[in-house]
Amino acid sequence: MLTQKIGKEYKKNIKNSSSFQELESLRVKLLGRRGLLKQAFTDLKKSNPTQKKIQGQKLNKLKNNFEKLIIQKTKELKALKPLASTLPSSPTPRNISQSHKFGHLHPITVTELEINSIFRSLGFSVYDGPEIETDEYCFQRLNVPPDHPSRDLQDSIYIRQPTFLLRTQTSSIEARLLKKEKPPFKAAFPGRTYRNEKVNKSNHFIFHQYQGVAVDKNISLKDLIGTLDTLFKHLYGPKAKVRYRPKYYPEVEPGLGLDLVCFSCQGQGCPLCKGAGWLEMGGAGLIHPHVLKIAGINPKKWHGFAFGLGLDRWVMAKYQLSDIRTLLGGNLAYKPQEKTL
Amino acid sequence: MKIIHSQLQKLLPGLKTSPQQTANDLTLLGHFCAGLEKKQKEEIIDLEIRQNRADCLGYYGLAKELSVLHRLPLSLPQYPQQKFKTNPVPITVTSPNGVQRLLACTLNQIKNSPSPPWLAKLLTLHDINPINCLVDLTNYIMIYWGLPCHAFDQGKIPSGLVWEDSTRSQSFTTLDGTVLNLDPNTLQIKSDSNIVSLTFIGGKNSKVDLDSTDILIEMAVYDPTRVRHDSRQYKTITEASVRLDKFLDPNLIPLAFSHLISLIETHCQGQISSDLFDFYPKPTQTLPITFHPEKVNLFAGISIPKQFSLTTLKSLDCQIKKEKNYSVTPPTFRPDLNIEEDLIEEVIRFWGYQHIPTNKPISSRKFKDITPPLVYFIEHIQKILISLGYDEVRSWPLISEKQAPKNKKGLVYTENNINNHFPILRHSLLPSLENQVYQYQRFKVHPVQIFEIGKVYYQNKKGFQEKYQLGLYQPNLSILDKNLRELFKSLKIKPSCPSLNISPPISPYWEIDLEKLIKFAPAKLTKTPAFPNPPQTKSYELKKQIITLDANLILKEKKSQEKLLKIYTRKIGERYLWSLSITDIYHDPQTKKYKYSFRASYFNLSSAQAKKIHLKSFNLV
Repeated sequence: MLTQKIGKEYKKNIKNSSSFQELESLRVKLLGRRGLLKQAFTDLKKSNPTQKKIQGQKLNKLKNNFEKLIIQKTKELKALKPLASTLPSSPTPRNISQSHKFGHLHPITVTELEINSIFRSLGFSVYDGPEIETDEYCFQRLNVPPDHPSRDLQDSIYIRQPTFLLRTQTSSIEARLLKKEKPPFKAAFPGRTYRNEKVNKSNHFIFHQYQGVAVDKNISLKDLIGTLDTLFKHLYGPKAKVRYRPKYYPEVEPGLGLDLVCFSCQGQGCPLCKGAGWLEMGGAGLIHPHVLKIAGINPKKWHGFAFGLGLDRWVMAKYQLSDIRTLLGGNLAYKPQEKTL
Repeated sequence: MKIIHSQLQKLLPGLKTSPQQTANDLTLLGHFCAGLEKKQKEEIIDLEIRQNRADCLGYYGLAKELSVLHRLPLSLPQYPQQKFKTNPVPITVTSPNGVQRLLACTLNQIKNSPSPPWLAKLLTLHDINPINCLVDLTNYIMIYWGLPCHAFDQGKIPSGLVWEDSTRSQSFTTLDGTVLNLDPNTLQIKSDSNIVSLTFIGGKNSKVDLDSTDILIEMAVYDPTRVRHDSRQYKTITEASVRLDKFLDPNLIPLAFSHLISLIETHCQGQISSDLFDFYPKPTQTLPITFHPEKVNLFAGISIPKQFSLTTLKSLDCQIKKEKNYSVTPPTFRPDLNIEEDLIEEVIRFWGYQHIPTNKPISSRKFKDITPPLVYFIEHIQKILISLGYDEVRSWPLISEKQAPKNKKGLVYTENNINNHFPILRHSLLPSLENQVYQYQRFKVHPVQIFEIGKVYYQNKKGFQEKYQLGLYQPNLSILDKNLRELFKSLKIKPSCPSLNISPPISPYWEIDLEKLIKFAPAKLTKTPAFPNPPQTKSYELKKQIITLDANLILKEKKSQEKLLKIYTRKIGERYLWSLSITDIYHDPQTKKYKYSFRASYFNLSSAQAKKIHLKSFNLV
């Protein structure tokens, strides 16, 4: 059910929106076919008749208010002069004009910003770190043993200087964060990572990850699983089904893998999920006590969780891209706006 | 790792779950089910076994997992006690660091034959080709216990075998006839001066065939790093190497080896003709771990009964002693259990991650904001640039030698990049933007005005450096100049500021160092996020060139352009329409009619397909 608190928050966001795009995104989130209100009306069907009547009236009122607010804000925005036009300032002889055209952010950026926004609402900072890394931050501080396969030349891209490589995972930022910051802290960080993989339709040597870390007293698997579930439900709706299963990663203990019911086939099995019905979204776990200890954090006092999500396949599915190379390949394009005389 | 459900039930007669349920149970225990298929009336579960669980690379280990989950007893094969002779096995080990444990013996009076149907079928279902009964039995034992073993034709190794680290280069022909040129320091098995096997693949010159009557069988566990190194170096990944390059339990070898001997005795009528050779210089032991059952609840965030923790660990064959706390000694087949957190994970794993509530996220309590100012600043720049009509691109950070500056000073080269044509990390965003514009031109995407915010890389006295740059492309210099002014105005930075030293653009490509620019930015842009609600974007994957076609329509009266565009957009359909515009309206005073000129661009269509849709939509057929 759409709570009063959320309603107030959205009203505030509508009032504060500074662009048509922002306003449209809010309209879709609230009043769209899969919007919050539609969902609330669907949920209402399950309630008893008395509740249905009371809640239904409330929701209708809320819907009307939102509609009025959006219409009012649209008028306000139209009245504003556009920030700039992409056309030359002097009109052409045939007096061609063009309505204001907005550009587009890359789908990876949009996805990162969406996730940033969710984690910011949970009190996380957004962090960053270097791509050229040392063996120490990429492996040693993350408890990756010296003989781990990821350290092989076949798996990592090294720089022409011993012990320097392009980061193979955003966990290297985690290692820096743990060393630099004093607990408690919460931070999330999107980033580009590199592995020595052959490039084809479904694999790339450059890919994107989204990582998060929280260190505080008494952090448990329940906090981690609840946080990840909140993320997926924000992105895929309240009915998104996520599965958590044990998985080994050297930097966490216990570790877990997280799978989302395939958004293409709803768990029935399809080429995207290779018939499994589930899509592997990433890995997570409670930070290994050795990792905390190496960073100078007392594992008896502080606990933490960390998670890493692969963004590329996620973005591909969302934007219906069939080839991973498109994300960085130059054939990803945006439709121009209509042009009239 | 593939497992046949009915085979698993032989080890666990009490297992009554369906194959689908067993697959789900194993997935939730951490062995991800990648597929379930039916072949030759058998249900086959395909599992992904993690690096640290080599014990589950055989039926025994997986059955053990399910026996703990369902609290069912295991049913292991029964066979009579084996009687060894006094003859020594002709084996020498000169690589004590490479070989952790090696068991071997000889058998004679073998009657080798093609495998019985049950064995041939089982191996086929595991994607292993049946060869002959002896060889197939060694493979069967490998998938049963997860421990590779090998049989040599004794007639082909008259002087016995030596496990040694090679000191010189030598060639070796594998069982399948592949010739490998071995480098010094490869762990190998020799007979006289011939290499007859490597740790993970047998040799052609000692292979067992239907005529073999006297054989030497061995089962060994090696230093996994040596096996991984050797198998990767010679690009030879085998069923044996996949197991031997992980930590296997040397203490499990006697059980698996006895099983192999009993099967050879039964199916090939072989008789033991030697003593049992057992090389085990440093027996594997595990150390006790102090365990606090109450910590399980702290880690899981839910309440798990203490008794459940202790019963689970006991079922896993851990030795438990009650002292001040609990002292738990894990079994040697679980080398992944080293610290208390490992034991806690085991308890939670068998309790089930699915029983941890999903509706309790971490508290949204805010701590100190540690977001670097540049992260906020970049968001604000992105927001301004899309409002100016620029599209964002992301490109490869690697460039070719041709795109690098001629003096090559400070460039960062990759050592082993997958694409040799692009070995250098970019020093500037401009080559990447040029590549992008070139790609757009190839696909006939225009007009284009793009930006990229990305890292550039260089090295100086301080070492490797990387910094964020902003790059823009706009083919019209006056528009670019105007847009830059708008950008700086929105950023509240004066481009004329002497320390910034920004001059009007002289090329359609323009870039700036953001770490330099941020120094002049107001605090608001470096301390607050720009997108409380991120904008939506709609992008398309171009697979073919955009086809642009014109059409003229004669109308009796003047019509709204917006309405006309709406009508024809609907007629053409959004699926293939890239853009539609009205380029001209002409009113003929004589006929008093209006001529509307349309320009339609189509994407991901051949020119013939585009033409067909175009003619049909504008009634031009």
